[in-house]
Amino acid sequence: MARYGMALNYKNCINCRACESACKEENGVLLLKDHYRIWVGVKEAEGQFPNISIASQTYHPSQCQHCDNAPCQQVCPTNATYYGEGGMVMVDPTKCILCTYCINACPYDARYVDTRTNTVDKCTFCSDTRLANGETTTACQATCPTKVRVFGDLDDPNSEISVLLANKEYRQVKEHLGTKPKLFYIL
Amino acid sequence: MQTLSLKKLFNFEKTPLNVVMAFTTVALLAAFMAGAVAYILHGHHVYNVTRQHPWGLLIAMYVFFVVSSTGLCIISSIGHVFGIPEFQQIGKRAIAGAIITISAGFAVIGLEIGHPMTMLIYNVLTPGLTSAIWWMGTLYGLYLTFICLEFFFLAIKVNHTFSKIFGICGLLVGLAAHSNLGAVFGFLISRPSANGVFYPVYFILSAMITGCYLVFLMYGFRYKMNFPEKIVIMLVKLSKVLGMLLAVLIFFEAWKILTALYGDMPERAVTILHAIKHPNFWFGELILGMLIPFVIILVSNAKAIKATVYASITGMVGIFFMRYDLVHDTLLYPMTTLKRAEYQVAPTFVEYFPSAAEFAIGFGGIGLALFMYYLADKVFNLDESSNH
Repeated sequence: MARYGMALNYKNCINCRACESACKEENGVLLLKDHYRIWVGVKEAEGQFPNISIASQTYHPSQCQHCDNAPCQQVCPTNATYYGEGGMVMVDPTKCILCTYCINACPYDARYVDTRTNTVDKCTFCSDTRLANGETTTACQATCPTKVRVFGDLDDPNSEISVLLANKEYRQVKEHLGTKPKLFYIL
Repeated sequence: MQTLSLKKLFNFEKTPLNVVMAFTTVALLAAFMAGAVAYILHGHHVYNVTRQHPWGLLIAMYVFFVVSSTGLCIISSIGHVFGIPEFQQIGKRAIAGAIITISAGFAVIGLEIGHPMTMLIYNVLTPGLTSAIWWMGTLYGLYLTFICLEFFFLAIKVNHTFSKIFGICGLLVGLAAHSNLGAVFGFLISRPSANGVFYPVYFILSAMITGCYLVFLMYGFRYKMNFPEKIVIMLVKLSKVLGMLLAVLIFFEAWKILTALYGDMPERAVTILHAIKHPNFWFGELILGMLIPFVIILVSNAKAIKATVYASITGMVGIFFMRYDLVHDTLLYPMTTLKRAEYQVAPTFVEYFPSAAEFAIGFGGIGLALFMYYLADKVFNLDESSNH
């Protein structure tokens, strides 16, 4: 069975935010404050003028880490958050009671309240909008002009992501919490 | 139980204190209704909770009410479960208070949870057994059933064997439920300032303190500060218990803060330092909630009952700040510290101030509790029965 993850060549990111727009368009995310499934974090340049390290300014695209040991899933009182196909962390809106405990529990700020359904929403790796239709890429990956994102099956040794992770060094975010995140930042 | 006409039900002695209490109750009830209507019309938009601060005043007030309920249940059990004679007279009044406060808590949380009916269905159909909220909610439901039965056998169909059995069940389930409520915060691995064993234990301790404050307030109001000898004996003993509990709480808090600051652990130390520098902590929690009542009890050797009743008012205000800070301090530190737009300041501590609707519903819950207490006091004889 597949185990989906995403590698990010984050140093290639130019902060164009095409990924954010594509995600909103593909998944029908509302254009409201707090409504975003993915985002690009901006790490400011270090140093003081005129000795500013331009190389230290980097962009960090982020989203739900689809943790193998997801705190949001553990704390859900009705199992509305569950592990879907390919180990993706999903939300069943029919079971969500909007206690927002999962939003508190997520160490990555990856969840928000969708005001249309009044339930919690998050990145699904486009499973219902693209993968279900036979696509093999997510919207954010397909639209990225600098090919930052590589989505694929971590259990398939021949997949692009597995080959990349086997040959490159990478780091993960807050992995000391034991969440086993499946977003890998290529160094 | 007494048979009452509506006229008699709403007829009371027009002393200044009673009139002030009546106006306060009606005003808070009206605020609750207004807040509830605003929520029904506009949903969570009327609350100031955000993605970064998803819980706010209503969660704090829910905790405030259920802490009060558990506290009253624990304090009442000193008498009619553990058999300490002086405390047996508390039984009915405290259990009535426990039922009332948890009902007010459920009313407040009912307007915070987005889909309460879905909760009732899927709590049963697909229970999340690893969730502290599931255990807390389920156990509190059971707890309410037990204390209602306990009250039934204490005040309506008097049967001391049954009231004791349901009292023990209510106490044990209440303790389990309440420590699970602490675990709701203690289990948050993403929040180092809350994560750990502290809250599940601290919740029981602060519940007992809240129970003591409320017993002082209920008896202070019941006897208008002219206490019969029997009540004085009980309140002096309760005051000593309260003093000891406050000493333990101050000790707990001191070590919680010291261990949080020691070593400057990322996220945790800076969050706690920020929290303790805020007046909510040092004035609200520490001075109002702990030091004023503790000093009065210490200086008077627990004999200044009237002063302790007044100190219980500051104590309850302090308890409110403890509950508010519990929620706010847990969510203080942002989960992503990178800014999301080019011309923006990087996120620091998350800010939150409750909206008018949150204030109306949260504090309106107090009006709901006062109104239910008034009715309970009118309908049932909450004093010790002569055949007790």
